[in-house]
Amino acid sequence: MAEHPQALKDIIDLCAGLAETERREMLISFADGAARQAPQPGESFDLEDTRKDEECTDTVGVFLRIDDARRCHFRITLGPQVQTLTRAMTTILCQGFNGASPETVLDAPADFVPQIVGAELVRLRSQTVYYVLGRMKSAVKVWLNRERAASA
Amino acid sequence: MNEKIAAYAHPDVLVSTDWLASHLDDPSLRIIESNEDVLLYDTGHVPGAVHIDWRRDLNDQTVRDYIGPEQFARLCSAHGITPDTKVVFYGDKSNWWACYAFWVFQLFGHRNAAVVDGGRAKWVAENRTLTREIPKPSTAVYPQPAARNDAAIRAFYHETLAHMQAAKPMVDVRSPGEFRGEVTHMPEYPQEGVLRGGHIPGAQSCPWATAANPDGTFKSVDDLRAIYQSGLGLNPTDDIIAYCRIGERSSHTWFVLTYLLGFSSVRNYDGSWTEWGNMVRSPIERSTT
Repeated sequence: MAEHPQALKDIIDLCAGLAETERREMLISFADGAARQAPQPGESFDLEDTRKDEECTDTVGVFLRIDDARRCHFRITLGPQVQTLTRAMTTILCQGFNGASPETVLDAPADFVPQIVGAELVRLRSQTVYYVLGRMKSAVKVWLNRERAASA
Repeated sequence: MNEKIAAYAHPDVLVSTDWLASHLDDPSLRIIESNEDVLLYDTGHVPGAVHIDWRRDLNDQTVRDYIGPEQFARLCSAHGITPDTKVVFYGDKSNWWACYAFWVFQLFGHRNAAVVDGGRAKWVAENRTLTREIPKPSTAVYPQPAARNDAAIRAFYHETLAHMQAAKPMVDVRSPGEFRGEVTHMPEYPQEGVLRGGHIPGAQSCPWATAANPDGTFKSVDDLRAIYQSGLGLNPTDDIIAYCRIGERSSHTWFVLTYLLGFSSVRNYDGSWTEWGNMVRSPIERSTT
């Protein structure tokens, strides 16, 4: 079983055992920090994946930089209509996977998500809570494919 | 009542944000927020509003169906709602879920109900007060309704199939891509899963958003008549079924046709495309327009 990065473990530990009300407050606090995960002036990226769904939700942009030590650094932009849970997961995952290897991100089992957001919210909105994780993994997968192609 | 609302067929089921702001302390009301975003209420809501979640509170937790009369009575009682309480719904997504909750309340015959024109987005855009304080209304007595009355406003699969075979009017309120069968889901949206794309043969495409202004308010009665009567050729006495993917967007259209335009026989097929598109041998039509 793949190990989660320490930063992600810390967030899991922080959220585990919280009562539902406290968990929701914690998630809203993470959601409030989502805007700070956007690209900063002067940053450059190895991969940018911005998509907009015209019908239901807003634009989500995933920006990935892999440094010389093959560590991942994510930035994410969210449109104003993106849901609160998605905003919360954006902060959690950007912080939790910061500095992780591409393989760690790609292989990360998603079972940590219910530990963070709680079984009730996963049951109510199962897809929403996994969305950002899926987008980040997709970005890493593309980067790894490019790396493999470049070395072939 | 403002002029725009007064022009609708049943103006009593729509209130403005101004009206809501002046009735926040009205003890005969219960304000209900109903959203797609499950945490949005917790980030701040209209003072005094309670939260009803479509999946947790209105859906049966085992069978794909709505809650029964006993659960409905319990839900209302817990939120301090009596049969005489005027329930006022608002929410995100241009009131999709507010209309959905309104529709479920109508299944149980709670007629004293309204929707806030423009929903949550308009309230927020007008910089009106939001609070994180959760109201704790005293438990009320809501007698258990004798039954959930599905027949008048809810359509099931076999009824929709018969409706299609009789060539009666149907409105598909999904996006054009879903109607044409080009997509069966939206990648950035909760996926309910469906195996086939397209639409019910004979259905006309009219996305729900056609009835909404950019600020989430409903379009004027004249605009709505132009869309549904002149545009789609629907008549107020037609027997009509509206559907989408799980019945939430079509609740919006059901509300528009029934209350804003005064159509007499509109049903919401809540099984919608997630039932129709998965059913073995369901007739499906695809088109390029």
